[in-house]
Amino acid sequence: MAPEARRRRTLGQVLLLSAGFLVLVAVSTASVLLVNKARSDSAWVVHTVEAENQINALLLEVRRAESAARAYLLTQGQEFLNDHEAAVAAIGPVLDKLNALVVDNRAQVENLAALRSVIETRLSQFDRERLLVARGDVAAAIALLRDARSTTSSKTMRDAAEAMRLEEERLLALRTANADASQQLAAIVTITGSAMVVVLAVISVLLVRRSTRARDDAEAQLRESNLNLEATVDERTADLREANEEIQRFAYIVSHDLRSPLVNIMGFTSELDELRNDIFRRIATLARAVSASPPPAEGAEPELEGADKQLSEDFSEALGFIKSSIAKMDRLITAILNLTREGRREFVPVRIDTRELIEQIVSTLAHQADEANTTIRVEPLPAIVSDRLALEQIFSNLIDNAIKYMKPGVPGDIAIRARTKLGFAIFEVTDNGRGIDPRDHQRIFDLFRRAGTQDRPGQGIGLAHVRALVRRLGGTMSVASELDQGSTFTITLPINWNVSNRNSDR
Amino acid sequence: MTMPVTIIMIEDDEGHARLIERNIRRSGVNNEIKPFTNGTDAVKYLLGADGTGLDHKGHALLILLDLNLPDMTGIDILKMVKQNSFLKSAPVVILTTTDDSQEIKRCYELGCNVYITKPVNYESFANAIRQLGLFFSVIQVPPAA
Repeated sequence: MAPEARRRRTLGQVLLLSAGFLVLVAVSTASVLLVNKARSDSAWVVHTVEAENQINALLLEVRRAESAARAYLLTQGQEFLNDHEAAVAAIGPVLDKLNALVVDNRAQVENLAALRSVIETRLSQFDRERLLVARGDVAAAIALLRDARSTTSSKTMRDAAEAMRLEEERLLALRTANADASQQLAAIVTITGSAMVVVLAVISVLLVRRSTRARDDAEAQLRESNLNLEATVDERTADLREANEEIQRFAYIVSHDLRSPLVNIMGFTSELDELRNDIFRRIATLARAVSASPPPAEGAEPELEGADKQLSEDFSEALGFIKSSIAKMDRLITAILNLTREGRREFVPVRIDTRELIEQIVSTLAHQADEANTTIRVEPLPAIVSDRLALEQIFSNLIDNAIKYMKPGVPGDIAIRARTKLGFAIFEVTDNGRGIDPRDHQRIFDLFRRAGTQDRPGQGIGLAHVRALVRRLGGTMSVASELDQGSTFTITLPINWNVSNRNSDR
Repeated sequence: MTMPVTIIMIEDDEGHARLIERNIRRSGVNNEIKPFTNGTDAVKYLLGADGTGLDHKGHALLILLDLNLPDMTGIDILKMVKQNSFLKSAPVVILTTTDDSQEIKRCYELGCNVYITKPVNYESFANAIRQLGLFFSVIQVPPAA
């Protein structure tokens, strides 16, 4: 999966989760608000119903008072008067209660005021009738009752109560509708919100599952490619090792087999040399016989003369070149043989005090250093785990080179120092010798190649050998130098070299 | 010396063979030298017609052996000689270009008497052969049992 797509997907998941959370919060808030609203709506509905109840109770009490008053008028029974008085006493609190209930509604307050005045009128009529009855004028009382009945008071009272009830009915309808609406709204919001949360959750689960699968796939792929990689590395390493061994064998066989004809060439050249001596001795003798000069003293070598002498010298010169070439070729072949043999030697990692090792090398080179008027300074060096013989060869080659290529007439100064860094020991062999032209820095590490003035014996093998050894020990080497400015050879070696390092290198 | 010693020279390079022979002669050794240029012929001669080496019973042999032969290695011949009851008392001189220490050790383990590396330097070469001649003149070669 491309990293871009993966990042988008992760972002999508985060957004999705945030959206789900926001929806949840919104739904919860809305639900709380709506439930509160529904509760207050219901409270208002209850309030309205209460008010209606109180209106009915009021009317009931008024009726009770009225019917008790009528009964009293008809019978003049004291118990009816008591009833009437009880009813009248109840009217006051009911009115107060109703007033408290409808105080928030101006229309109802007005209606109630009207109702109250009608009721008071009616009650005062009752009082008057009662007084008439008490005076024994029942007929006048009944007339008054009739008059009251015919007048508006009773009807007015009913109308006022009806108006109040209607108003409350209207309010009830309104408030019930309100309450229903808010409940419905709450239900809708809750359901919708839940549905949305569920949908988001489902999408999240799907996404998570998909990314889990993608991750599992990627993991499997990674594992597989890891295995493949290891196999490939093993294969390549085996190939390289085989190729390396092949080259070593090849170099060994070639150099070995080259030697055989060389023995013949050298052998018969020497034989020719012998023959030459015989031939020219003979020529000399014959020439002397022809020229009839006196024979030389017994045992003395006959002298050649003129053209014969020239011939003999040419012959010797040719043989001399052949011999020196053969000797050179033999040295090269021997060098290759030694290198391949060195390449096949098993390295043994041991703990080495490099200062001690280098001081030993310096003491074996002390005589040469004296001759070259050179001082060698060995600074404190670390102990490392490596192959002893290889280290000896590396440092003795470098120090030997430094002594060999001093500037004529200048006292030599060679310093060997080291520092450690990140598991590696970095050795520096610094001299104030003739230096190496930067153009030759690569060349000096090549086999049979040398640089600078060729006034010292050598095959051009030392540094190639040193570099091969350093590489086998898992290290690197480099040179920093300018002509006439001295040279510094830097060798970086692992502090803890072991055979497995080597195997992975090879 | 009651019995003349025969020198068996197994050397594929005729130039080398010639140089060796010359230097042996120069050192004053005049024994018969039988040259072979390949391993097969040499083995055939050494083991005789019946392949047991019985032919050489009672003969005194000295074997000069090169290790790099075209058809087999000198090591095989050395082994064969040292395992044969009639030939095993014959001294074997390995004369070869190989100076590998492993190879030298192996040859001595298998019972070779002298191991000489052919040096390219002719002086050394001639010297080695002449010393070999000296060696021939002082060692007592027992007749094959």
